[in-house]
Order: sequence, then structure tokens, then C-alpha cells
Amino acid sequence: MYALPYLLFLRLHRAAIDARRRDRTWRYLAWSAVAGVMAAALVAFTLVMTAALFAIGWWPLALVLVAWFVLPPLQPLVQRRVLVPLGAVRTAYWLGHTATMKDSAALGLVCAAWAHAGRPRPAGEAWIAARRDQRRPLGDAEIAVTALLAAARGDDDTARDLLRSLDRIVEAHAAVREVAGEWLACDAVARGAWDELAADALAARWPATSLVYLLEGIALRRAGAAISRADLIARWLLAPHRRATYALLAAAEPIAPAAPAAAETVESDGDEPVAPRERAAWPRAIATHLELVSSQASARSLAHAVRAWDLALADDAVRTWLARRALELDAPLGAVDRVLREVARAATDELAHVAEVATLAAPASRGPVGDALARRLRHGRLDALEQGFTRWAARRANTEARAPIDEWREWCALRAAYDTAVAAGGLELRRLAFPHAYTTGTQMAVWLWNARKEYALSHAISAWLLAEALAVGDTEAIELCTRNARLAVPTRTGTVKP
Amino acid sequence: MTGLAENPFFVLGATPAASRLELEREAQKLLGMLELGFAAAKTYETPLGPRERTAELVRAAIAALRDPYQRLVAELWARHAPPPRAAGLEPEPEPASPRVSLWPKPEARSPKPL
Repeated sequence: MYALPYLLFLRLHRAAIDARRRDRTWRYLAWSAVAGVMAAALVAFTLVMTAALFAIGWWPLALVLVAWFVLPPLQPLVQRRVLVPLGAVRTAYWLGHTATMKDSAALGLVCAAWAHAGRPRPAGEAWIAARRDQRRPLGDAEIAVTALLAAARGDDDTARDLLRSLDRIVEAHAAVREVAGEWLACDAVARGAWDELAADALAARWPATSLVYLLEGIALRRAGAAISRADLIARWLLAPHRRATYALLAAAEPIAPAAPAAAETVESDGDEPVAPRERAAWPRAIATHLELVSSQASARSLAHAVRAWDLALADDAVRTWLARRALELDAPLGAVDRVLREVARAATDELAHVAEVATLAAPASRGPVGDALARRLRHGRLDALEQGFTRWAARRANTEARAPIDEWREWCALRAAYDTAVAAGGLELRRLAFPHAYTTGTQMAVWLWNARKEYALSHAISAWLLAEALAVGDTEAIELCTRNARLAVPTRTGTVKP
Repeated sequence: MTGLAENPFFVLGATPAASRLELEREAQKLLGMLELGFAAAKTYETPLGPRERTAELVRAAIAALRDPYQRLVAELWARHAPPPRAAGLEPEPEPASPRVSLWPKPEARSPKPL
């Protein structure tokens, strides 16, 4: 009877937090206020009961009451303000259990990994990793924990890639995703990657904590979205770390788009780069090449350089001059063609290196450099992809099973390599690369589902293969992948029907 | 780009129109200056910026220019290359937007004394 008000407040508190996760409008602030009031009511009600128990001398029961009923609503506050600064891994793990009823160990592990970041110790990492490895099959919490452990070691790139990979897995613990979203937002702010944060905000990729809601608001305002100053201040008041975020709030003004650079050497006509007419083909080719290698390469500057080389190598005036000089110098027969081939090879080598480093596609320029560059990039990227997928599939044949998180990391690395190659090589390379990826990917997905019972991991592979099959229009693959991707996926948060 | 960075004409500080005799004389002069440690001979200008000049590079350059085919290649690059690039003043960096670390980061700890 006396517990009824507590249960009612608890229910309302949870409902307000769930509603807040689905919203990014003014209601977010309203639901946050409701959740805060409910948490305060829960704590106040329990403290009154505790005082009463102390008064009648039942102090052991009073302590139990505090532990069971005061700490759960205060868990987010205690986690952020006490356990993370102290690096209290085990306490964070057990307290994390109290914040949710469904698969509480998932949030517990993530809270432990977050606390570990406060004061990283090898023993703490080993303890968390052991707990993580006991959990099978793989889900979003295990990936997030691995990412946070990597971040605690200072490996932010790995942490970022792993947390970004969470949107490929169907198991979704809202509280885990909140922590993942907060790490990514803090990381974006630390790197000054406001555009990335604004894109996440527009896509509502992660359920927002109050800190994420503030940072997203700042990012959107900087990008020119209609976020008022009053809205930002309300978000700032709601968020933690107000002293640290004040500088961000003060500087949150729309950034004027950069004025386009004056076209000093290039007269553009649509997408096709055209060089100024007054400069001869060879000096132009060398100058554009030097510009490309001495600055950050873009698809446009690469296309410009390739086109300039193709025009230069086809320039009759230079060919005539070369033939005359070859005669004057008494050069061997065929020297002119040999010189032009040598120059084309040198230019192609360097442009291919630039394209590989910047993961750029081969520009559509027909000529000695354009053709050679397209051929070299396509073959190099396809070979590298096929080797990667073959090594992956070979492990299945050898029954060389790895820990689920390592399987996930290998799959993510392969997929990243595929995406990079396809982005650079275009639809033509995608069509060439897909059949091998499809064959090995399907075999691995079947093995992971049937033999390893890694349902979420297997589903992620099948879903990706289906998306790729649709992109390249492979009907046989579409049929099989649709069947595989539509299988209901058993997860710890319930069966997910894609 | 080797055709520019180690172009024999740039290494010798000569123009593509120079005669064989002029090139030989320039190479001998540079070798002598390098032997005596003259600072002016220790670098040469290229469109990619200044490079270090060594006696080996000078000998390789004059050897290349004695070969008609290699001279043809070197002339093609040197004739059409943009003028040598001098080291310029760097622009003042733009004021950076505030960056705040809101997530606990591992600190680089100095080893404890034994």
C-alpha cells in the first residue's frame, strides 16, 4: 500500500525518460523536467520513509530502503559525478543494473567502461573485458564497451568506428545508445567536427542525453539552423558540465559559408575542368600536377590534373619539338615515343598514389594518363578487396572461430574497405566487386547464424548484402538476401522482426 | 616527381639551352665549390622548392646530360616547368573555434622514479 506512490512515481519517471528519447523538440525539455520532478519525488518519498524507519529504530531496513529506492533514480547523476571521476568500475557496473529492468547487465557494462575511462587501469579493463566476453551472442552493448575501452587507451579512431557501426546491428538498448551518442558528440566537439554532429542531429541517429541535446543544438545553430538563443540557453541549463560548455554556448553563432576561391587558373564549364587558353599544354599539365600534390587532393583537382596530362601528351607542337631535338641530339630511334611513355608512366604513378591516399575515383578522361590511371586503380582496389574477403571466408573453412567482437571488427573493416573502394571506383567497380563479396558474405552469414548462433552479427551481414544487391541489380542475390534479412532476429531486448 | 626534383638542369643550375661544354664547366665548378664547402653550392632551386645538392647528384646529372635520350627527357621537363619556388611567408592561422574535451581522456603519465 505504502509502495504504491513510489511505484507510480517510478513508472512516470521511466515513461518521461522513454518519451524524451523519442523527441528532439521543445517536448524534450518538458519531458526532462517531468523526469527530474519524478526523480525528486521518488527520492523525497523514500527519504521520508527512511526517516520514519530511523525514528522507530529500524535503521537496517532504512539503509536497505536507501540502497534500493534512492540510488536507482539518482544513478545517472552518481555515475557522471562520482563514479566516473573515481574510476569506480565495479560499483558503476552494479549500480548500472539498477537503472533498467531489461537486460540490465548491458547498461552495467557500459557504465563500467565509462567509469574506466575516468581512471584507466589494466585490472579494470581486464575485468570489464572478461564480463563482456561472457555475454553471447554479440549485441550493441558489447560493441559499445569495446569502443569505450579503446577510447580509454587513447585509440579514438577505433572507438569512433565501432560506435558508428552500432547502427548496423538490430539489437538496441536505448540507454547504451545514449552513452554511445554522447561519446560521439563529445568526440566531434573535441575534434571541431561540428558538421558531423549537425548531421547526426538532423538524422536523430542516437537518443540524446541532455549534454548531446545541447551540443547538437550548438552544432545546428553553427550550421545555420533556426535554433534560437533562448532554446540553446534552456538546453545549456539542463545539461551537465555547464562551466565547460559555456565557451561553446557563447561562440554558437551561424558560420558564414566560405567565399569561393577566385578561379585564377581554371575557367570552369560545368563539371568538366577547362584550363586557361593562354597557357600551353605542357606547362599547364606540370603546374596543375604540382598544385595537386602540394595541396589537399579533391576529385576535381585530380580530374583537372589528369585531363591536363592527357592534353599535354597529345600536343602535336611538343611532339614536333621533341622530334627535332631528338635529331639534333642524335637520340636513338623511337626516342620521342619512349620519352612520352616515360612521362605518362611517371605522372600516372604519382596521380595513382594521390588517388589512393585520398580515396578518389579515377576521373573520366580518355588518354594515356586517364586510361592507365583508371585501369590501375580498378585492379588494385579489386585485388585488395578480393584478398580480404577470401581470407575472411577461409576462416570458416578452417573452422577458426574468433570471439564475436573480433568477428564484428573484421567484418566492419572489410565493409569499410569495400565502401571506400566502391566510393572511389564508382558503379563499375561495385558491380565487379559484389559477386565475390556476395558469395563469401552469404557463407559467413549462414555459418554465424547456424553454427555460432550470432544472430545480430549474421543479420547485419545479410542486410548489407541485400542493400548492395539492390544497388547493383543482382536479382538472384536480391532474392536470397531478402529471405535471409527478413528472418526474425533473437536479441536480448526481444525478437526483432526486420 | 623525380623529373623535376632531380632534373639535371636544376641540379647544375643551367638552362636547357646550355651547350655540352657549358654544362661540363658548370659541373666542375659546382664540384669544386662543394669540395670547399661553399654554402651557396649546397642547395639548388626547383619548382618543388629548394633541394640539397651533393657531389654525387652533380656527377649523376652531368652523366645523364651526356646521354642524348636522357638529355631529351630532362629538357622536356626543364623547359616546361614553372619557375623555382622560393620559401614564402606563412599566413597567420585563422582563429580556431573553441574545442572542449567533455569525455574523460587518458593522460600521458610520466614514469615514476625508481
